[in-house]
Amino acid sequence: MLSAGLILFLAALQGITELFPVSSLGHAVVVPPLVGLHFRETDPAFVPVLTVLHLGTAGALLFLYRRDWVRIIVGFFRAAVRGRIDDPDQRLAIMLVVGTVPAGVVGLLLQDPLKTLFGDPRLASAFLIVNGGILFAAEMFRRRDERRRSVSEPGHAVLTHEDGDPQFARIEGLSLRTTLFVGIFQAGALLPGISRSGITMAAGLVAGLRHEEAARFSFLLATPIILAAGLLEVPALGTDSPTALVAIAAAIVAGLVAYASARFLLRYLRSGRLDPFAYYCAALGAAGLVLIH
Amino acid sequence: MKGSRPLALGLVLLAVIFAVASIFFFTVKTTFLAGGAHPAIHSKHAIVFAVLAVLSLIAANFARPKAAVR
Repeated sequence: MLSAGLILFLAALQGITELFPVSSLGHAVVVPPLVGLHFRETDPAFVPVLTVLHLGTAGALLFLYRRDWVRIIVGFFRAAVRGRIDDPDQRLAIMLVVGTVPAGVVGLLLQDPLKTLFGDPRLASAFLIVNGGILFAAEMFRRRDERRRSVSEPGHAVLTHEDGDPQFARIEGLSLRTTLFVGIFQAGALLPGISRSGITMAAGLVAGLRHEEAARFSFLLATPIILAAGLLEVPALGTDSPTALVAIAAAIVAGLVAYASARFLLRYLRSGRLDPFAYYCAALGAAGLVLIH
Repeated sequence: MKGSRPLALGLVLLAVIFAVASIFFFTVKTTFLAGGAHPAIHSKHAIVFAVLAVLSLIAANFARPKAAVR
């Protein structure tokens, strides 16, 4: 059985790492053995506990974008009934469905082999290094694109990243095909060490979104799949288990920390880039490969 | 987007297939697509296939030819 202290530690870790592009699942697998916390990775409660923590972070995202979600849900039902898209909210709702289905289907079909992979720290460490590479590659692509634009459009030599800057795409302007590709990329985040937010932010940057807009898109895409995964796994925890009670309290901790993390990340990405997160993932992954036996 | 009756009908057929799959996973003990050492009811698979059936019907509604709006 997982100790209450370990679960609360994982909750705080989850809250920070779920939304940062650094792989929350990778951290949950790699960090405890690095800091000397030992637990059985094959513990049947391991995956459901993490899933309950996901519910906490999904709750934070729902609260953060509560006004958007009201418009998205209303837009979805209107579009579904009419069979056409009439406004940006309806378009965003359909985009989120298109972006969520691939990861949901892949997760369902591969959940059993992935459960085995979830508990391997060395594999997660290797994928953390890959995650760092993905973030770095996305930023290299973005920088090359910005240099190309500054050369071809001298009047716009400096990209200001301001909201409404016409040189950047908006989420609602992305094609459904692009959204489908982003959704497929999100399925790759089922691998431990690959960050869901990182891979979707990277895809958003490549598609031409501002950093802050790419993060918003990533957070909106993440919410339904995290919610669904959590709701489907909660019955497995057991209502009369002490672990279940502690996990629920930990989910609240994860939610509060995730909300603060999201607000910080959105403010940082108004002018910052993903490079620091890339270096961090590579370093943590390397440390895991060297130090974990 | 122009409607397409064959596409709409195909999506309705897909919805029927997903619905049948959902009923299958709700009622039949199996390891098909679900893994595990022993056959069992897989309610998560059933729920996901039910959701896919609904989404396919919604997609069919988008794909169907519509009368021109005056």
